[in-house]
Amino acid sequence: MFSRISGSFYRTAAWRLALRSTIVFAASSALVFLLMYGLVARTVRDRSDSWLVGESETLKQVALTTPRDALYGRILGEVAELATQEFAYAGHGDPSATNTVFFFETGESAEPPLWVGPSRNQPILDSIGRLKISQRSPVFMAVEGWRLPFRVVAVDLGPGMGRIYLGLQDSSSRTMLTRLLFWFLLGWICMVAFGFLIAVLGLRSTLKRIDAITGAAASIGTGDLSSRVTSASKPNDEITRLSRTFNTMLDRISASVNQLRTLSDSVAHDMKSPITSVRGDLEAALSTEDQYLSRELMARAIENLDRLSDIVTTSLDVAEAEAGALRLRPEPSDLADLIRRVIDLYAPAFSERRQTLITIADKPVQAMVDQRFIVRLLSNLLENELRYAGEGAQVAICLFEKDGNAQIKVKDDGPGFPPELLDYAFQRFAKGDKSEGHGLGLAFVRAVAFAHGGRASVRNLDPPGGAEIVVELPALERGHEPASPAQSPLANRSHGTSIPADKNDAIVTS
Amino acid sequence: MRLLVVEDDHTIRNFLTIALTEAGFRVDACAKAGEAEELAVEGVHDAMVIDLTLPDMDGLDLIHRLRAQGVGAPVLILSARRSVDERVLGLERGGDDYLTKPFAVAEVLARLRALLRRSTPNQPEATRLRVADLELDLIRREAHRGGNELQLTQQEFSLLEYLCRNAGRVVTRAMVLDHVWKMRIDPSTNIVDVHIHRLRNKVDRDAQRPLIRTMRGVGYVLKD
Repeated sequence: MFSRISGSFYRTAAWRLALRSTIVFAASSALVFLLMYGLVARTVRDRSDSWLVGESETLKQVALTTPRDALYGRILGEVAELATQEFAYAGHGDPSATNTVFFFETGESAEPPLWVGPSRNQPILDSIGRLKISQRSPVFMAVEGWRLPFRVVAVDLGPGMGRIYLGLQDSSSRTMLTRLLFWFLLGWICMVAFGFLIAVLGLRSTLKRIDAITGAAASIGTGDLSSRVTSASKPNDEITRLSRTFNTMLDRISASVNQLRTLSDSVAHDMKSPITSVRGDLEAALSTEDQYLSRELMARAIENLDRLSDIVTTSLDVAEAEAGALRLRPEPSDLADLIRRVIDLYAPAFSERRQTLITIADKPVQAMVDQRFIVRLLSNLLENELRYAGEGAQVAICLFEKDGNAQIKVKDDGPGFPPELLDYAFQRFAKGDKSEGHGLGLAFVRAVAFAHGGRASVRNLDPPGGAEIVVELPALERGHEPASPAQSPLANRSHGTSIPADKNDAIVTS
Repeated sequence: MRLLVVEDDHTIRNFLTIALTEAGFRVDACAKAGEAEELAVEGVHDAMVIDLTLPDMDGLDLIHRLRAQGVGAPVLILSARRSVDERVLGLERGGDDYLTKPFAVAEVLARLRALLRRSTPNQPEATRLRVADLELDLIRREAHRGGNELQLTQQEFSLLEYLCRNAGRVVTRAMVLDHVWKMRIDPSTNIVDVHIHRLRNKVDRDAQRPLIRTMRGVGYVLKD
């Protein structure tokens, strides 16, 4: 594993993150271990201290109650001997672990001091001589020639009676603490090393998945939209979700890029054919001697140019609407009335195609809309039906209010949308293979609906077949109805609107 | 009739000059607002065609200045600006009609003639219109052709009335939609043709001489 780690590995986020987390982990676990060790050491020392104090009290009692005769030294010596054996510890074969206890009593200058303990006692006596110690509070006392210090407690026997020193070198506890420290250290090192390894490996495999996303993104940058992040399914964690989102995003981008490609192709195609025929017609008009034919050809050229300019201007309109650049002049309007006006215009065209147009818009539905745009929206919807519902189709346009929204529903029993078009019906230049339109009508419908805070949706009715387009616009609450509902919205139009007044006040004669 | 054309694009200026001269107008053309102002304040023009994007001044400001100096000739605004709001602004600031580019010369001519007719008042409001043997009673909203009453719907009557008021002048599809249906839309289907076709069936079917004619690529004209 580590043999593959190159110098660049030390610059990876995995390395840095693992290092940082390990340092924190090591420091905190070391602190915990030290605290535990300190606690144990303290407990051990307290135990030996309480033994020392207790035992020295016992010896004091014995010393005070024993008559100072010839047997005094022997009795006290026996008792001390017994006491020292209480704490004796052979060390189980480890000579350095042997506990050592001494007892020392200074008496009146006349009496010889009592000593029970190691026979080579001169260095101990020297150290006691230098010791500054108060009663019953054990202190450490280093002794020349002994590896470990003694814990010593002193008890005064009384005025002029001398002093008892009891000392303990608790080698067994010390050995135990040393071993504890050793195992703690070993355990700590293992924990830290193991933790670091796990962190590095875990982070590395995690970050490798991010690298996979980077790789996928990088190959997108070189123009290949088909690249995806693999293994985007395994554990359902943040990175998997990121991968999945990334893949979904790529799907969408690739879909819209494809859409864009096909649409720019189709725009080019749409424009190419009229351009070609304009050119051809004009060339022919230029070379022909027949004046009637020449006029005919030029008229056709103009019609084709009109078609071209229609594509350009409508496309700009939709772009403007989609960019939210429409500055609406909303006014309270009755949508039913607007629909009736547009139907008036379109009804003959429907009967021309033997299409039945049913209008269900009896009840007024008030909405705050810019009439100019809603009229165009409605006209686009109807043009759409004229083009695609097919000869003899039945087309219904309904208006009703639902949940505070005005719904304009246009449906037919024609062939419906081509399935591949359903998702893109509202996109600019989206159109079926057989379509003769330029694919801007519905894009404009949606853009205008959005601009009014509404929305537009499309679906195929299945069964009985046919298409349905629904436009929703926020409706005005009741009570906002104009003072005279019978009045045409045109009459309510404020001054200075887009439609110039038509004051035909001249007499026309032949 | 004398016209002033203010347009900085020389291609458009040239073909407008040619087409308008051809149509029988005297045309003064210039490219800058400054020049235009000097020409216009003489007060000799019957109508003006003004482009909104001029090199030295905004076309709307020019119109505003001319109006302030008492120039009352009707103005047809030409604009590459598509935003509807700006169109409305153009009319509020003293324009009388507008066209967005690209436009057809026929559309310019038709609208200019409509403007010129509008600006020659002093004629009493007509109650009857007559073109050849076609007669319209605007009060009773009845139409007769050669003595026979035509069975027209309200809509067909309005359309015929509009054509009669503009008798002899070409009206474009956009103008028909604008004036008869009060809608500014650019239909990509032939809805206007359908209406005209129906009207023609009633007006011209039994007549010797058709009155309503289609001008290919331009629009319609009602004339004897």
